[in-house]
Parts: sequence; C-alpha cells; structure tokens
Amino acid sequence: MRELRFAKDLYEGTQVDAAVKVFERFGKLSTAEEADAWIVTVDAPSDARVRRLAGELANYALGLTIRGRQAEESTE
Amino acid sequence: MTESLDAIPDTFVSVDRAEGAVSFVVDESVYPLDAIYGATFTFLDRCFVFLGRGEPGQVVITLSAKKPPVEDDELRGWIGELANELLACAWRGRILEQNRATIEAVTMQAIGGAMGPPSLDELEDFDFSEEPFDDPLGIAMSWEEKYGKKEKKGESADDSGEENA
Repeated sequence: MRELRFAKDLYEGTQVDAAVKVFERFGKLSTAEEADAWIVTVDAPSDARVRRLAGELANYALGLTIRGRQAEESTE
Repeated sequence: MTESLDAIPDTFVSVDRAEGAVSFVVDESVYPLDAIYGATFTFLDRCFVFLGRGEPGQVVITLSAKKPPVEDDELRGWIGELANELLACAWRGRILEQNRATIEAVTMQAIGGAMGPPSLDELEDFDFSEEPFDDPLGIAMSWEEKYGKKEKKGESADDSGEENA
C-alpha cells in the first residue's frame, strides 16, 4: 500500500480525480481530502505493481495538470 | 533511506537507491512554478515524476526509475538534465514575458490582415479627400517624373512651326 499526497497548489483536483478514474481498474485506489492535499491510497497484489500503479497515476495527474494550465493560459 | 550522490551538493539533492529515486529541492522564488512544470514534463516519458511541498516556498521534485535499480550515473544525469531544463524554462518564460506586448501586436496585425478587405460600409466611412502624407521637401516623386524621357528644348518649337506651315 502506498499513499500519494497531491498538494493542492501543485495539482488540479479535477485532474487527480480524472487520473484516478483512468487507473482504478488496475488496482485498489481510495481518495481522501485534507486541508492542503488530495490523498490517493494505492493498493495492489504486489509491491512492484503498487509502485508502478502509483508512479503512472502520478505522471498522469501531473500531465493533465500541466495541460490544463496551458489551456487556461492560452484562453486568457 | 535517503543518501547523497557524489559530485552533487546534498543541500538540494537526496537519493533513495533502494527505490531508484532522486529528489531535488527547488526554490520557487528562483524557478517559477511554470518553469517547474515545463522542466518536469520532459521527464514523464522516462521517470515517474512527483511534485511535493517541502519548506514554505520550496517544491520537491522526485524522479523515480520506471524500472529499478538504476546506476548512480543515471541518477546524476537526471539531476543535471533537470537543473538545465529548469533554467532554460525559467529563462524562456522571462523572455516571453518581456516580449509579450510585441508578440501581441504582431499577432493582432496578422489577424487583422487575415480578416480580408474592408466592407463597403467601412469604405464609405473612409475619408479619401485627405492627403496621404505631407511632403514639404518634394521628395515623393514618381519614377516617371524623376527618370522619364524629357522633351528636347527645340522639339516643341519645331512641331509648332510645322503645324503653322
């Protein structure tokens, strides 16, 4: 099991949710919210799978956040 | 367990060899968030990238190998490339900010030109009676006026004589 803390001022919450939706079929993902972060807990049958799932989820959430920011800037 | 990496100052960089991960602490007052996003985006294809908060005003960038274990040389390479990319992105952002007004003006002119010829209503409102520009020194001459064939002095007199005869 691994816990990912996505800081609210670094990641878009909607994009973290979108990433969770994409990867939830590969393992057990649960979400929670704290004052400064969205928490995603990743669980899977093996440690290697947990590591990979957490990494791919983090990459996807970061990619979506960056793309979202670029789209916002281009419409301003 | 975090360790240091040879030839890299451990003030900003820590290594977790068991995880095949390296963390880089970035000061947001030196590298703006857009530069951090731009730099980390280039690593998404070869590492797992995670951004976190450290001390106030600091962002901790963690790069983890997709397939551990990784050699120290590779981790050192990631840190070097990340530092270079951060600097390049920050500098590009600054240049873009400085030239924003120029870029907007050029873009507006290009879009204005692409909108096509003016409509009849716009032409109706246009004041054609106005002189195009002032030319007090008389330098705005057409090519014909300046370099065209000039009449010979006697030619016009001869012509008039023939007509009289």
